[in-house]
Amino acid sequence: MSTIIEFKNVDKEYKSGEHILKAMDNVNFTIDKGEFVVILGPSGAGKSTLLNLLGGLDSVTSGQIIVNGNHVESFNDNQLTEYRAKNVGFIFQFYNLIPNLTAIENVELMKDIVDVDIDGLSVLDSVGLGNHADQFPAQLSGGEQQRVSIARAVAKQPTMLLCDEPTGALDSKTGVLILNLLQDMSNNRNTTVIIVTHNAILAEAADKVIRIKNGQIESIAVNENPMKVTDLDW
Amino acid sequence: MLFKKMLRDIAKHKAQFISIFLMAFLGVFVFAGVGGESVGLEVNSNNFYEDTNLADGWIYSANISDLFLDQIDCLGATTQMERQVVVDSVGDFDNDPDITLHFVENNTISKFHLIEGKELDINDGGGVWLDKSFADAKGLKVGDNITFEFENYTIEKEIKGIGYSPEYVYHASSSSIIPDFNKIGFAYLSHKAFPADAVPYNVLNIKFDGNPESYDELLDYHMGGYYSSFVERSEHTSVGQFADEIDQHKMMGDIFPVVFILIAMLILLTTMRRIITHQRTQIGILKACGFKNYSIILHYLSYGFWLVLTGSILGLILGPMVLPPLFYPSMSANYKLPSWDSAWSMNFVYVAALMVIMSLAVSFYSVKGISDEKPADTIRPKVPKVSSSGFIEKLGLWKHLSFNIRWNYRDTKRNKFRALMTIVGVMGCSALLVCAFGMYDGMNDLKEWEYTQINHYDSKLVIEEDAAQSQIDDIASKVNGDEIMEGSIEIESGSAKKSGSLLVLNETDLITPTDYDRNSVEIKDDEVSISEKMAKMLDVGVGDTVRWHIMGSDKWIDTKIDKIHADPVSQGFIMSADKLKDLDLNYTPTAIITSDHVTEDYNGVKAANSMNNMTSSWDELTESMWLLIYILIFFASLLAVVVLYNLGLLSFTEIEREIATLKVLGFKTGALRKLLLTQNLWFTAIGFVLGLPVGYYILAIMWESSGDSFYILPSISPINFLITMVITFALSILVNLMFSRKIKKLDMVESLKGVE
Ligand SMILES: Nc1ncnc2c1ncn2[C@@H]1O[C@H](COP(=O)(O)OP(=O)(O)OP(=O)(O)O)[C@@H](O)[C@H]1O
Ligand SMILES: [Mg+2]
Repeated sequence: MSTIIEFKNVDKEYKSGEHILKAMDNVNFTIDKGEFVVILGPSGAGKSTLLNLLGGLDSVTSGQIIVNGNHVESFNDNQLTEYRAKNVGFIFQFYNLIPNLTAIENVELMKDIVDVDIDGLSVLDSVGLGNHADQFPAQLSGGEQQRVSIARAVAKQPTMLLCDEPTGALDSKTGVLILNLLQDMSNNRNTTVIIVTHNAILAEAADKVIRIKNGQIESIAVNENPMKVTDLDW
Repeated sequence: MLFKKMLRDIAKHKAQFISIFLMAFLGVFVFAGVGGESVGLEVNSNNFYEDTNLADGWIYSANISDLFLDQIDCLGATTQMERQVVVDSVGDFDNDPDITLHFVENNTISKFHLIEGKELDINDGGGVWLDKSFADAKGLKVGDNITFEFENYTIEKEIKGIGYSPEYVYHASSSSIIPDFNKIGFAYLSHKAFPADAVPYNVLNIKFDGNPESYDELLDYHMGGYYSSFVERSEHTSVGQFADEIDQHKMMGDIFPVVFILIAMLILLTTMRRIITHQRTQIGILKACGFKNYSIILHYLSYGFWLVLTGSILGLILGPMVLPPLFYPSMSANYKLPSWDSAWSMNFVYVAALMVIMSLAVSFYSVKGISDEKPADTIRPKVPKVSSSGFIEKLGLWKHLSFNIRWNYRDTKRNKFRALMTIVGVMGCSALLVCAFGMYDGMNDLKEWEYTQINHYDSKLVIEEDAAQSQIDDIASKVNGDEIMEGSIEIESGSAKKSGSLLVLNETDLITPTDYDRNSVEIKDDEVSISEKMAKMLDVGVGDTVRWHIMGSDKWIDTKIDKIHADPVSQGFIMSADKLKDLDLNYTPTAIITSDHVTEDYNGVKAANSMNNMTSSWDELTESMWLLIYILIFFASLLAVVVLYNLGLLSFTEIEREIATLKVLGFKTGALRKLLLTQNLWFTAIGFVLGLPVGYYILAIMWESSGDSFYILPSISPINFLITMVITFALSILVNLMFSRKIKKLDMVESLKGVE
């Protein structure tokens, strides 16, 4: 397998007045193409910070982030925008759909930023929402909204899907459905999927588990035989 | 505690609250300021009229005998009357000023208002009481001697007093609507000063009971044919003109504040709504903590209340202090009034109070929904409004529309209120701009029309009244000029009666009557043309017959109208000398016009006015108008910026999360800016288009109120229309630029961190 993501000595500091907070402290790891990665850690450990740095939403204080051989930390604003558009699919805890657009329009919105022809209906079908295409976000349940946001993220065929607590606002049954969908993306489409979660059980389904604490890597474990999400003991 | 919260909230939304404060302040400032000015004029003039016992009406007749007085007395309604001889004289100065002399039998009606010297003495045949403005212009003092010439008399008198007259607040010669205090004046003398044994009284000042219409009818019924005309107070040139002027100022003072107050309320409403939706959860928590409903409502009412209250009080104090002194200098250059004080009216306080109450109502309206909710409901996030697919979405076309258009269309649909507010704001701006530029064009147009297109002589020599025809012909041939006759007339049709002017022309190419579109109107030798405005006021047209007479003559004539011409400043008839003679009236030239530049002083010529003189005094007269136009343009622009910025800010914070999401998805800043710009431009375009007729309408009212003798229709030149459009759209884009910085700086991580 080929390495697609590499963090090299990444530091991230937040200054608030005099006080300096190290949210990332000499972080090093690699992720291979198509891996299903789970990031675990207590609240405030720096999980979201890691994801935001990788997704180009925020910039490092020092260190390197190499994606597909490109140095993300050296990108300017325009390059970051381009990078996000082509490589990154974000999935948030609170979906962040555009309330003014229907489910299918939210998905087809991606046509405006990447040069791929998107058949919104078939993408929605793939997340099991083909018959809700013309509903507005406010007319969908939380789980359905999260599925639309996954459909939106995968529609542009990004290199990686970054999911920050994608099931945080959902009941466990719906959560399993979502996580299963994400695992399928990784297995069937060879998309790299990185999930931040509080739920340690998911670790058993991951190809790789990265544990962080106080902004530092605590451990990195590779799972030779990951279980299927649906087979886990929830 | 809650007070502290309020101060923090205000600090957080400072742009909005500063605008609310500013608009509340400006609204009251302008209302109380212009109000203080116009009410001041009204109060000053009314006091002046009352103190001097201004006549209720004037009866003009060739000879007001004792018998005539008895008859008027017998009418019953008359309570007081005084006769006098009013004659036009020429003062013995280099520029031959026109001085109207009043030889009074008594002076208890329309009393001379003394400033310096001793009171008017009706038994003092050797004294004269002179117009203060004229005396100032000529540097005359009490004790100086002054000489007047009229008819065949020359009289020299000592100035015993200097002062004002209620009949001469506005005073301009018949040949020019612009007063020049150096060239025109009035004087009061005792009837004993009249240089003949028999005093030919020609004006009777009267005070009467009841309304002027019934007095006019009574007079007409009993005395019809024995007098030439009756003028009631409101028709008097001076009184009428000054009242028109006050009305015009008042209207300006009314239109502006309405706009400002509306804007203040609009911003207050949107801001409060936003704060409250934002703090919905907080409100729930406050309630859960046990705060009473009314104390929460009071808390939110207090935001707008304090700002609007301080803004209005400041406006109330500063308005009447600052604005009147700005207007009075140009006013006192044109009008003769003994005092120019701004006045205070309780109306100002009422308007300020009304605004404070409105602000409370507006805030209450925005809070009341939330305070009715159960605490449990307010803690949960509000269910977002569901968009529905309307008919446009059902069209096949919808799918092919760009994201930009679809997003904006839906956003507008979901936030109709915000859209409406923006449109109304832009509408106000474009209406004010159209009005301002329309006035600008109108003023320039009028000048160009009157002083270039209609009158294109270089000099106008005003002939003395007693000049012989041979003398006039002589001068005319010397200066290569044409003779014309100008006079005041009164025209009647049905129940409508208007005073106007008469212009008698011989073949001349120095005056070209035109129609409204500036095409020349050819008036043949046997034709009478009436001005368009006069025709409208009398509701007559070509072929109709009207009755008219020359002021000062009792001879009424029926005349058929053959043509209609248009004129911006004088309304009445134009005809040839032959036609005049045909109607059995005397042709007595009053002026000679010539394309030569005449500086030489001819015998028999009272004054020589050059076109330059006339246009520059026109410029002086219109100075305050220009001031008004600039203020209007400034405020219109301010209005647009304030409205667009506030509503832009409002919508920006509302969609901040969406913008952040789009940014995360990889949308470029430029594309996002375009998203917001599109909406702004739509609303600006709609507001602009809707503002046009409104501005046009205001303009029409403004011109309408500028007096009977003015004729100008509301219109705006293509170039200024373009400027109006450019300003409106440029402001819209400028405001948008402020937001593109915000988009660039928007912190995606922060904006997406959980739900508020
Ligand atoms: N914008 C910021 N300014 C200052 N400090 C920040 C900022 N964002 C995050 N931090 C700090 O960085 C540290 C890591 O934050 P991060 O959001 O990555 O935690 P997390 O692991 O995602 O926690 P959680 O599981 O609660 O979401 C925290 O201590 C947080 O206080
Ligand atoms: Mg987090």
